[in-house]
Parts: sequence; structure tokens; C-alpha cells
Amino acid sequence: MEPHIRSAFDKDLEGVQALVMKMGGLVEDALLQAAKALETRDDDLAERIRAGDRVIDELEELVHTECARIIALRAPTASDLRTVLTVMRIVASLERSGDYAKNLAKRSLVLAQMQPISGSAGSITRMARSVVGLLKDSLDAFVARDAVMAEDVRRRDAEVDQMYNALFREFLTHMMEDPRNITACMHLHFIAKNIERVGDHATGIAEQVIYLVKGRMPEEERPKNDVTSLVPRGKE
Amino acid sequence: MEGPIQMKDIHIEERVVSDHKAKITARGVQVYYGTNHALKDVDVDILAGTVTAFIGPSGCGKSTFLRCLNRMNDTVSSARVVGEILLDGEDIYDKRVDPVQLRAKVGMVFQKPNPFPKSIYDNVAYGPKIHGLTRNKAELDEVVESCLRKAALWNEVKDRLQAPGTGLSGGQQQRLCIARAIATSPEVLLMDEPCSALDPIATAQVEELIDELRSQFSVVIVTHSMQQAARVSQKTAFFHLGNLVEYGETGQIFTNPKDPRTESYITGRIG
Repeated sequence: MEPHIRSAFDKDLEGVQALVMKMGGLVEDALLQAAKALETRDDDLAERIRAGDRVIDELEELVHTECARIIALRAPTASDLRTVLTVMRIVASLERSGDYAKNLAKRSLVLAQMQPISGSAGSITRMARSVVGLLKDSLDAFVARDAVMAEDVRRRDAEVDQMYNALFREFLTHMMEDPRNITACMHLHFIAKNIERVGDHATGIAEQVIYLVKGRMPEEERPKNDVTSLVPRGKE
Repeated sequence: MEGPIQMKDIHIEERVVSDHKAKITARGVQVYYGTNHALKDVDVDILAGTVTAFIGPSGCGKSTFLRCLNRMNDTVSSARVVGEILLDGEDIYDKRVDPVQLRAKVGMVFQKPNPFPKSIYDNVAYGPKIHGLTRNKAELDEVVESCLRKAALWNEVKDRLQAPGTGLSGGQQQRLCIARAIATSPEVLLMDEPCSALDPIATAQVEELIDELRSQFSVVIVTHSMQQAARVSQKTAFFHLGNLVEYGETGQIFTNPKDPRTESYITGRIG
């Protein structure tokens, strides 16, 4: 893109995008660290993540204030306008994802008091890594205005859905085997579901990037693989 | 996780103007044209290194106040200015102050371009020459070129510097006047509707110029275009019926004005 004749406008737009990337980095970190706190039963780490969510929330506020300024002072049009609108929606997704990381940390504090469910923490960590990969790529696609990369993120969310389905069945099995596992498995299930939702937010960001680049939302349905909410076949 | 990031570590650059010093301080300024009380008790600090916009409907007193700042109202026989206006702490209405010297320090660009009936080169060179700011022709050439470049006019006129300034188009004439105004390196530049005769691209160039000028001096701009005030200024003052209604950071004025009259004006509900 050619720079604006008014260079202050470019500075404003770059500034707000830098804040988005900073926020994205914090959210990615919070998710990975929260999974680690769960795996290593590290209460201090979990507490730090819970406290760190405030910065993410405040960053969202700051970005909103900045976007309001840009709209009021610069009257952005065309791709500039889409950038501002996209930024506002991205930070809403990031803020929500940050909340899920915080919730994961909170539940890991509870889970640390209970008998571990074998293999679950490792699976959660793997799932968190995949989702953070999606989040990172969706934000990279945003910075690079790369619709192809954004399309790829949309497709890859199906893998996260599959991981969630597998975990869902695993937790059911544990609960059926021994009712004493139910509390822990319920917490673990919420964690898995929340991470799966972060994947949906990453997909949402990718769709915003496509809107930003092409000026319209992607047309085709996105591939979905979360089947847990469907009625099993034969029981309709 | 390395040390937790705190909100106080996160800043938006270039937003802080409030710690700039006051360049011009006005206290209790009243202006009368005969019996007409045009400006009522204005208190304001114009900051150094800042673009300040005056907005308000026609006849609200914004141009009147602007003209007080370099004593242009001296030339209107019926005008009477009461109150105190200090430039760097010195009263500009003091008897010992020479208005001509004052206007070299506080330059002005008017709504209608008014180039001298001289060549393009001489229009810009005139100020530095009479104030003895350059030592030789080479230096003067340099000043003329740099001012014309800053005014985004150089490329259009570099091959005809000896042509008359009055032969340029309206937009070019205005940029020539801006080049002329900055040639004496003023400390404050007053601009009264400087872009009303310019096309959007020339307007954008002049606005970019205004933003650059801010690093060297204070700029005060009167404009009817609220979008322009929003784009170029860091501080905005809203005048209405001779009163200074609200004065604040431009972002605040345009996103969250304190006074209901300001809100009505900028949202297009009163004029």
C-alpha cells in the first residue's frame, strides 16, 4: 500500500495494529502457560496467568479508544475503514480468548487438588499448541494482509475440532469407568471446550482478514468437525 | 513467563502534548468593534510545538482572536482589544513592542492567497532579505528552495522562479504564501482558512506540511472544516457567539466533548 500523504494517519494505523499484535502475543503466551500450569500442577504460574488477564482486557479498551479516535479524527475510508473495523473485531476475539486462558488457569488450580486423569494434561497441551498456532497464523495473515494464509487457518480449525472430539470421548470413558473421576473430567472437558472455542475465534479472525483483503466475507461454509453436539446416528 | 507486562509499559507514541510549554498566554481578552462586543473574556494557552485549531460558526470570534495574536486588529480603527496576551511571557500589546517585528515572529497565512506582485523567487526571498537573515545569494537560494519544498510547491515552479507569483493557480498561490510565511522562520504561524481554495491533494500536502512545521513552531489554524481541525491539530478550541466554549485535546473534543454546545456543533446540530 502507498503511504498516505498525511503521514500521521499511517502512524495511527500502525500504532493500533502494533497494539493488536502485542495483545495477540499476550493471549498466545497465556494459553501456552496455562496449559503448562495444568500439566506441571504449578499454582504460582496459574495465579500469574489469572492476574495477567487484566492487561489483556485493558489493551482491548485502549484499542477501542484508539479506533474511536481514528474514526473521529481521520474519517477512514475503503481499506483504511476495513482495517479499523477488522481491528475492533479482532481485539474482541482476543479478549475472549484471554478469558478462556484465565479460566483454564483457574480450573488448573482446582484440578491440582485432585487425582490426575492419565494423559489428559498432555492432550490439553497439544490442543493448546495447535490453537495457538492458528491464532498466531491468523494474526500473521492480518499483518501481511494474506488471504491465502487466512483461508488455511480456516481449514486447519477442523483439526482442533477433531482433537476436541477425541478428548470428549476419552473423558466420557473415564467418567463411566469410575464416578470419582467425574469432577475432574467435567473441569477438563470445559477446558477442552474452551480451547476449541479459541480455535473458533482464530477462525473468526481469519475470516476478518479475508474481509479486510477482499472487501467481503468468505462465501463457502467453513469445514467443521465438532460432532459432539449432534445426536448419534441410530438414536434419532 | 518473564516479568508480567504492566499497562504502564504500553504507550501510544506522539500523543503527549500537554507537557509542552505555553508559547502564547491570553488572559481576559475582550475585543470590541465599535459597540459590538465580538470576543468575551477569552483565556487560553497556546502551546509550543503544537497545532491548535480554532473552530466555530461564522462570526463566533475565532478569526478575531487569531488576529489579536499578531496585532492585525491594530489596522482596524474601530477595534479595541482589552486584556493581556503574552508571547513567551512578554506582553505583545506593550507600547515598546514594534508590531512589524512581532509579525516577523508571528507569521500569518490568509484565506485568500495574496502573493506580492513580484516573481515567485522574490515572494519567498523578500522576508529573509529585509530582516537580514541570509549572508549571500547562495544562502538565500537555499532558503527559497527549502521553503518552496516544504510548501510542496518546488517541483511545480522550479523551472520558472522568475515568473510572477500572481500568475500561479489559486492553490499554488496559497502554497507560495505559506512558503513566504515560513521563510522568516517565525515562532508562531497563524493560518486563517489556509486550505479553503485548495483541492483535496493540495490540502493533504498542506496539512502534512503543517504537521511538519509543528516541530519548529506553534501553529494556530482557523478552519471551517471540522475534519481538517480533527486531522491536523493536537488541541482544539471551540468558539461560539464570542465565547471560548471549550478548549482541549483534539481527540477528546471530537470523541467526548464536555460542553453540550460543542457536541451540538461538531455533530452538525447547531451552526
